Amino acid sequence: MSVDLSVAVGTLRLANPVLSASGTFGYGLDLVDLCPPEALGGVVTKGLSPLPRAGNPPPRIVETAAGMINAIGLQNVGVDAFCRESLPQLRQRRVVVVVNVFGETMDAYVQVLRRCEEEEGIAAYELNVSCPNVSAGGMEFGHEPQQLERLTARCREATEKPLWVKLSPNAPDLVATARAAVAGGADALSLINTVRAVAIDAERRRPVLPRVFGGLSGPAIKPIALRMVLEVHRALPEVPLVGIGGIETGRDAVEFLLAGASAVQVGTATFRDPAAPLRIVRELEAFCAAEGVGAVQELVGALAWP
Amino acid sequence: MIARRDMRVRLAARRELSPSCFLLELVTDTPFEAQPGQFGMLACRAGRDPFLRRPFSLAAVGARGEGTVCELLVKEVGRGSRALRELAVGGELQLLAPLGRGFDLATPEGGRLALVAGGIGLPPLLFAAERLAAAGQPFDLFLGAATAAELLLVERCQRAVGAVGGELVLATDDGSRGERGVITEALARRWASGAAYATALACGPTPMLAALTQLARSWGLELQLSLEEPMACGVGVCLGCVVDGADGRRVTTCKEGPVFRASELAARWWQ
Repeated sequence: MSVDLSVAVGTLRLANPVLSASGTFGYGLDLVDLCPPEALGGVVTKGLSPLPRAGNPPPRIVETAAGMINAIGLQNVGVDAFCRESLPQLRQRRVVVVVNVFGETMDAYVQVLRRCEEEEGIAAYELNVSCPNVSAGGMEFGHEPQQLERLTARCREATEKPLWVKLSPNAPDLVATARAAVAGGADALSLINTVRAVAIDAERRRPVLPRVFGGLSGPAIKPIALRMVLEVHRALPEVPLVGIGGIETGRDAVEFLLAGASAVQVGTATFRDPAAPLRIVRELEAFCAAEGVGAVQELVGALAWP
Repeated sequence: MIARRDMRVRLAARRELSPSCFLLELVTDTPFEAQPGQFGMLACRAGRDPFLRRPFSLAAVGARGEGTVCELLVKEVGRGSRALRELAVGGELQLLAPLGRGFDLATPEGGRLALVAGGIGLPPLLFAAERLAAAGQPFDLFLGAATAAELLLVERCQRAVGAVGGELVLATDDGSRGERGVITEALARRWASGAAYATALACGPTPMLAALTQLARSWGLELQLSLEEPMACGVGVCLGCVVDGADGRRVTTCKEGPVFRASELAARWWQ
């Protein structure tokens, strides 16, 4: 049986619902031999800022049970280098590109968008307002609904393309931030970013990461991410969601679709298996074929509520 | 660039070399090649414990039948290496290789290479030594460790060095075998008595690499260092393994390294 894998995230149609998550797939071209980006629903770039950023000093990562903590600190080449060096190749490969946007100030977010608007070949933007590993920007916009609404509205003015806002699981009130992003003009919400976490070295009696706190990702956070997708979907059933958090298999992707996500992003799984996003597309297709699901879109929000 | 592949590999043999170190012989049906200094990301056990793959420098890669045999030298330090000690011969693992930039083995006509290995830093230099021996390219190998028991694969090193008429210099911190003291001092003594090298290749603990960088700078000797940093992906996307580069950028050990020329690294390597 052939399965229609295509989905719609608002007005954006994707050939399949699996995207690579920001910060786990470079600028889309690092793994072309192992996981061709054009075979995915889309690629979300590493967070781009107006100027290059060096990120945090190492060590930056710690392994945990069924996951890892990172404190990369948004090291990136800057929006200009991305537009010059990576975007032409992504365009040539017909990759669906979602640019993840980061700034230390509201103006900086707008600056990134304006630079991108000069280019062809960008399908959508995702605002990073949830990075736990930077001292300015990031979470400070994602935790406070009024700030988030203002930022989203400023960005909304800068582009007519689909605008996604990536929500923080660390916000005091998730649904309030979701509403604020939508009020500011977001077309879709992606959730969740990493969960604020700590690793401690018992012998040395010190935190493992120099910045003490980092962001937890991987299967360890999947049940939390599912709960958050479900909560936001129930509160805002009309708003398209992109589910993220510990997705490692096609079955995991199905769970997020059922909870209300229109698409999913695969992140940490790619570190363990560089072909994971592509494998998940195939597993999702096999799941649908085995379960008699003709179109993946049917699964979105199809959870039977007891 | 040699194509990298994510391969199913089978443990063909495990040889104990010391109380904490062992050599794994992995075989695969997939033909693949590698440069000395390149590495692989090994899933040390199926499932999620440990969660991440581990980077291992390739100690040898060669054809076997239609496929490939690949050797890894492992020191038991944590969950990943413990899983490898427990794996039964015949057991299967997943290996993504070859990755990163290896050593540049080219030397000017008549130039001689110095290979410097400290402790568990031996694998990329053993790989280089056996390649150089096969190519008839002259080199000396400096091998240091804390004690005689931690000097690994000495006969094999001797064979490679002997094939091109080179010298194997051993040193231990406690003097239980070879010269007493650290291996960089042994190299400095050779240099003082007139030994001349075109290039030095090194892998070992950070203090050894730092001391060597300082010596090489004072001698005007070109130096290539193989670094080891914790990493999640091994392919340049997690940005967990960065080191400070000389140009102020943070560079990935997995993709831009793991072999760097000393001149490409920030000053912390010789200060």
